[in-house]
Amino acid sequence: MNISLAFRLAARQARSGLSGFRIFFTSLVLGVMAIAGVGSLSEAFLTGLAQQGRVLLGGDVSIGLVHRETTNEEHAFLAKHGRTTETASMRAMAYAMNNGVEGARQLIELKATDKHYPLYGHVGTSPNVALKDALACKGTTCGALVEETLLGRLHIARGSIIRVGTQNFRVEAVLVREPDRISGGFSLGPHVLISDTALKRTGLVTYGSLIEYTYRLQAPASLSTDVFRSEANRKFPNAGWEIRTRENPTPGTRSFIDQVTMFLTLTALTILAVGGVGAGQAISAFLDRKRAEIAIFKSLGADGALIFTAFFIQIMAIAALAVVVGNLAGALLPFLVEWLYGTDLPIPASFAVFPQPLLLATAFGLLAAAATAIPALARARDIAPAALFRDAVDRSRTRIRWPYLLASAIAGLLVLLLAIAIAPSKLFAAEFLAGIAGGLVILRLVAGILRWCAGRLPRARNASVRLALANLVRPGAPTAGVITALGLGLTLLATVTLLGHTITSQVSDELPASAPSFFFLDIQPNQAAQFDRIISHFHSAQDYRRTPMIRGRIVSLKGVAARDAKVSADSRWALAGDRGITYAAAPPKGTQIVDGKWWPQNYAGPTLISFDADLARGMGLKIGDTIGLNVLGREIDGRIANLRDVNFGSGRQNFVLILSPGIIDKAPHSFLATVRVAPKDEEPLYRAVTDAFPSVSAIRVKDAIAQVSALLQQLSVGVGAASLLTILAGLLVLSGAIATSQRARLFDSTVLKVLGATRGRIAVIYALEFGLLGIVSGLLSIGIGAAAAWTISKTVFGLPFAFDLGAAVLTVVGGGAATLALGLAGSWQALAAKPNRQLREQ
Amino acid sequence: MQPPASAIDLEDVRLTLPSAAGPVSILNGISLNVASGETMALLGPSGSGKSSLMMIAAGLEAATSGRVTVAGTDITRLSEDALARFRRGRVGIVFQSFHLIPTMTALENVAVPLELIGVHDAFDRSRTALDAVGLGARVEHYPSQLSGGEQQRVALARAMAPEPQVLFADEPTGNLDGETGQEIADLIFALHAQARTTLFVVTHEQALARRCGRVVQLKDGRIVADERT
Repeated sequence: MNISLAFRLAARQARSGLSGFRIFFTSLVLGVMAIAGVGSLSEAFLTGLAQQGRVLLGGDVSIGLVHRETTNEEHAFLAKHGRTTETASMRAMAYAMNNGVEGARQLIELKATDKHYPLYGHVGTSPNVALKDALACKGTTCGALVEETLLGRLHIARGSIIRVGTQNFRVEAVLVREPDRISGGFSLGPHVLISDTALKRTGLVTYGSLIEYTYRLQAPASLSTDVFRSEANRKFPNAGWEIRTRENPTPGTRSFIDQVTMFLTLTALTILAVGGVGAGQAISAFLDRKRAEIAIFKSLGADGALIFTAFFIQIMAIAALAVVVGNLAGALLPFLVEWLYGTDLPIPASFAVFPQPLLLATAFGLLAAAATAIPALARARDIAPAALFRDAVDRSRTRIRWPYLLASAIAGLLVLLLAIAIAPSKLFAAEFLAGIAGGLVILRLVAGILRWCAGRLPRARNASVRLALANLVRPGAPTAGVITALGLGLTLLATVTLLGHTITSQVSDELPASAPSFFFLDIQPNQAAQFDRIISHFHSAQDYRRTPMIRGRIVSLKGVAARDAKVSADSRWALAGDRGITYAAAPPKGTQIVDGKWWPQNYAGPTLISFDADLARGMGLKIGDTIGLNVLGREIDGRIANLRDVNFGSGRQNFVLILSPGIIDKAPHSFLATVRVAPKDEEPLYRAVTDAFPSVSAIRVKDAIAQVSALLQQLSVGVGAASLLTILAGLLVLSGAIATSQRARLFDSTVLKVLGATRGRIAVIYALEFGLLGIVSGLLSIGIGAAAAWTISKTVFGLPFAFDLGAAVLTVVGGGAATLALGLAGSWQALAAKPNRQLREQ
Repeated sequence: MQPPASAIDLEDVRLTLPSAAGPVSILNGISLNVASGETMALLGPSGSGKSSLMMIAAGLEAATSGRVTVAGTDITRLSEDALARFRRGRVGIVFQSFHLIPTMTALENVAVPLELIGVHDAFDRSRTALDAVGLGARVEHYPSQLSGGEQQRVALARAMAPEPQVLFADEPTGNLDGETGQEIADLIFALHAQARTTLFVVTHEQALARRCGRVVQLKDGRIVADERT
């Protein structure tokens, strides 16, 4: 075959421009833009995190310890490597003081800093004050910087006095910017900054208090953080500290960005899949129009390979143009975000053009285009020159030669493999893509069945209904394509909406029924009896539980260091950072043991462990295996005695690790208490506890839920936007299908008008046709979407599925209305055309 | 004197096509021999199978049974692609509806078959062919910018440019008015006289048929008359 001739022929063909390729082009632009945009934005954030690693971490290396400060030896080791700073963070209560009387109160995130803080970046205040002066203690009062929200909640202003623990603080300025805030994790209350000297005066620091001490190190650039890490762990194997480095200052944020990027990239691939349905239709329609031309080429001596190559070059050239346009739009997304949000972004971003996501989007776009185009082209390749004389050759019978089917399948498979290869969670990506493929197959099958049934229904008495049904089944009707494409977009939206509803209803509707009203942290042993008494004064108090709690890290599994142990991805979280540990002689109320036995009531032997059954599965642990824990710098080895079902969705106290008493109870610890009271008693209980115990942190579950709900809302807005793009792609496919059938519609409407049909009557026929298409697509989407959401909520989140009737109705009605509107708008030409003119032109 | 070699040799050719109502017999045992350089007209009423016979002879369609030899090559069992390659340079076709490629200029349309053969000076030869049909001044025009007669001249130039052994013409004047049709017919016979190409004309016009050296009449898929004029 003459390749240069194929190029020449393709170039001549291209003179007709994008005519016939608009849907193909636009679908591809949308898909590539979404992939490139998501990738570019993700890169912008990841690069921002990496570039600002030192500032975000607050040092080149940070060492985190719970409950305890470093020993002299440990501190000397850190100091040897550079300048250090120490901060202590904890949750506490802040009280507004009015003439020495405690007024409004609020849970806060308290951070105490030394004089070297911060090593990198700066603390932003309003008005601008020097940190050292602002936090200094003058007489009995010390200075504090507080976030604006605290002023609102305590109804105070700058200069007001607040009390934390037993110490009074003057609000010297508003805390506007904390350089290392993002590495601090999830906040339950407004941040308050004080000095280390002031913290000691609060009385909150007792042995066993839930305090996180962080040591940040300013090291020379020559210091290898990897070398430092291994040296630190080698010298102090039992320190139980968490070491973070400037290269990855916030592993949680990074992982969050990775996960969101993966989900949005998969959604963008769905856009490509939906667009692919339309693109395939558009290419088939285009080649159908080129039938005669292809037959002419054949009659002049062109063989099938030349025809295939020439049109493949033309289509891939258009695909390449679409990829360029999509990439350009995608690459601009970070700049758009910068323009819209600027410095308000919670994560630092580096706005630039990133080649890697663009290359990825290019690969996805071109492969998807090839996978879509090849089957249609393979059919065109075999158009017989006899088509010039006779149209009776049954087009549907043209079978695609296997090498072309194989090539198309390989291109499609490469798209899937590439998507899975770049996903941080391969299994999730594979399941998502399998879901999309399954959805496509089901939609296509049902669309086929619908066509088949519509063709065999008894003839409707109403002529409009009969004609509308006939439109759905006539040869060349795009019914299957439209239902598949639009249905897939709506299915994704339905899945996301129903899943969002399931999660939010679990968080906001179902939790309060069984969940406590309050969590109380840091109840000291000497306060326990009085605390119990206060609770007992409230008659509506139910499910009161006060449990000893101490923080510790899992450092080894079956004798293998935790970092080297083979652990499934969904269980790894339990090894990252500290976990709450409790001890109990008898199984706590509601404990569900699934394997093994609880230890005897008076057991006093070596430490036994009751462990989370799901985590044990993920970590490959069974009864009798050992788990090594580091508590307050001391290593405790325990043997698993039993495995429990731990339901984190219940909102109750849930401990992954419950130890047998004997050793752990000797360690200094505080208590965690939960209680549920009637709504009328919530405020009085809150006041009673916080009045009596300034050092106890009271977390109102309602407030925490509101915070989580707000976060979920923000997430669902992003995901919803991506789903809407998929529906847009579906509507594009619909408009393409309408455009393709425009000629036939024009002819039909002309004949109907000649026979006496009014424009209103024809509009009713079209409305019935498109309304039916939309409603069927919507109903199918609800069915498949509900099945997908049910599966995901059960298997991924372990939550009971909650069906949302409102969302279901919205999807069906929305899908129907959009299809109807677009269908009627697209058919306007056929409605408006004057029959006499059409007849003259026929 | 040596008899002229066969340009087209059909032996008991049959064509049956599927249809919704069952198989339809289009050609029922056609045997026909057209000598090299001969001019032959195929006459017959609508539906008699004229175009189908021409399609089989031109290698555009495969016969259901029988044997088809064109320009010395047995094309009966050739595949679709092999038939396409066979047509290159050996067979030229002129259609009733011209069938020019709308996205190509007149010059490019004429050049296509030459390019398919791999002729180096395809465009020079195309220009010469267009000159020969009187369109030397319209080479850069697209089909939509040409009249029906001009389009058929381009089609004729395209068919003749590779100097084929056989020129098939399917109702070449059918879509043209009387005067233009006459001009095209003159041109076809002038080119035949020049190149001595075998001419196979499908027509229902007696006047055009009478200009050929031989007239074959077809009815219901069978040859009912074969006369030399």
